[in-house]
Formats: sequence, C-alpha cells, structure tokens
Amino acid sequence: MTRDFDISRARAAGLTAFGRWINFSIDEDRGGLLYALGFEERHIGNPGIRSIHGGVVSSFLELAAQAELSARLRGAPLATATFSIDFMASTRAADMKARARLDRLGRRVAFLEARAWQESEDRPVAAARICIRIAALAEKSTPAP
Amino acid sequence: MTDPKIEDDLSPVIAGMLRSAREFLAHEHSLFRTLGMKPLLVGRGRTSFSLSLPPEFAEETGAIHGGLLTIILDSIMGLTVYTALDELKPIATVNLRIDRLSRAAVGDRVVCSCETSAIVSEVAYVTGKIIAEAGGAMLATGAGAFLVGTKGNVGGSRL
Repeated sequence: MTRDFDISRARAAGLTAFGRWINFSIDEDRGGLLYALGFEERHIGNPGIRSIHGGVVSSFLELAAQAELSARLRGAPLATATFSIDFMASTRAADMKARARLDRLGRRVAFLEARAWQESEDRPVAAARICIRIAALAEKSTPAP
Repeated sequence: MTDPKIEDDLSPVIAGMLRSAREFLAHEHSLFRTLGMKPLLVGRGRTSFSLSLPPEFAEETGAIHGGLLTIILDSIMGLTVYTALDELKPIATVNLRIDRLSRAAVGDRVVCSCETSAIVSEVAYVTGKIIAEAGGAMLATGAGAFLVGTKGNVGGSRL
C-alpha cells in the first residue's frame, strides 16, 4: 500500500515559533501520523489544579490538523477558517497525544477532526473540528497599513 | 494602565477575587504574563482587555498563529463568566467555537471583548471578539460554553 502522506511536510508545518512553544512533534505509527505535545510549565491554565489551558489544547489540535493536511498537499498555504472543540475530560500537567483525520479535501477547503488524549487513546480529553482554507493567504481582509 | 476599571455592578466577592488575582495574573501566571494583559473594562458579565501578540506565537509566515487567538478568547471568556457570578465557583470550558477572520502580525496589540449571554442550568454562554488595536480589523470571533460549579479547587479556579 502506498502512503498518501509525507511526514516531512507535516513536520515542516510544525517547525515554527508557535510549534516550539506548544512543544509539538510528529511520529509515524500504525500507518498514520501521531502528534505529541510535550508538557511545559507555560502550558498551565489553572495553577490550582495544574491543568493544561484549554486554548493550548485547542492550539495543539489545530496544529495537528494543519500538519495532517500539509502532509497531503504540496506546499499550498493554509489558513484555519473555523475551529470548534469539545473538552470532554479534565487534563493534567503531562504530555498529550493526538491523531487527526482528514474527512474531506476539497479544492478550496478541507474538513478535519482531531482528538487528544493523555492516559489512553480510548479516553479522549478533547475533540476538535477544523475547517481549513487552502491557498487563501493572499486574501487578507485586514486593511492596508 | 495598571488599574482595571472594575465596575460596581459586580458581586463584591467576585470583585475582590479579581482585584486579588490582578497581581498574580500580571506577574506570576506564565501564560498571561507573556501576553501583557491589561484590563480596559471589567463589568458584570462583560470585560475588555488589551493584549500583546509576542513572537513566541509566530508561524512561518511571520504572522501570529491563530491558535493564540483561541488561547486569548478561552481565557477572557472564562474570566467573563466569573464577572457574572454572585459567588466564587470553579468553572470549566465545555466547548469553544472560533471563527478566524484576519491574520495579525507579531507585536500587534489587540483588544478582546467578551460578554456572558446567560447562565442556564449551570452552563454559562459567552461570546467574544478580538480586534486589532490599530486599525480596528476584526481578527476573530468566538462563542464558548462553560460549566459553572465544577468539582475541583476553588482557589485555583481558572484565571
């Protein structure tokens, strides 16, 4: 079976300042891509119960979805259009893993789902749906400076 | 600006908690310190904060990764839930929905304004938006649902 993704392109998508802040990494297993957030103190949202900030979990899953899509495209610029996430269980101050699934790749938009877990994959802590616009970077709606 | 405009329509307990959290948020909380959070308005069920977008959150194009806008909206929407409460209770984010409208550049300052629509059956519904401080471009809008009165350490409630 030929692979339909290129892990080097996925890794390139995570090699940014933000990827380093999240401490984002990618491995290949079971014929797919496995994403990891390496826990850092700066990820803490609630110091009292030492849980990871919900926005950090969100960003991790968004990076996973962007990497999953990048692995299947040849360098097209991507921009997240919409993002939604359900937080299904509390998190703890520890590493987190995720998988992403490309549900539909259209010419202009792609739809993905990404799920994160800490203790075991069958106990997800969060699930996100992400709609990514492909090749949309030139269409900034920001007024010119 | 160092003194938040805490309005007098807040519950005294919540207003006191926010005042005592101010120093912690500004100087000790790792994430919020990085973002240079400055309160513009803190009223009952409505808040507005000015924040910076530091280079740690850049993507390869030099723009800020949109994930930072999610982090900001989750934080300020959660804080806005507190302002609507009569007594201090722990809260937890149930879900978020974020729309990304424009990109922001490293070093830009933004204003995040949020409003609690209602608290029904221990679920608080909040909306929020982030606009660029210079130029006023809308960068992101968001909506969140938060469970009020979750189990856990009240003293460490998510601020």
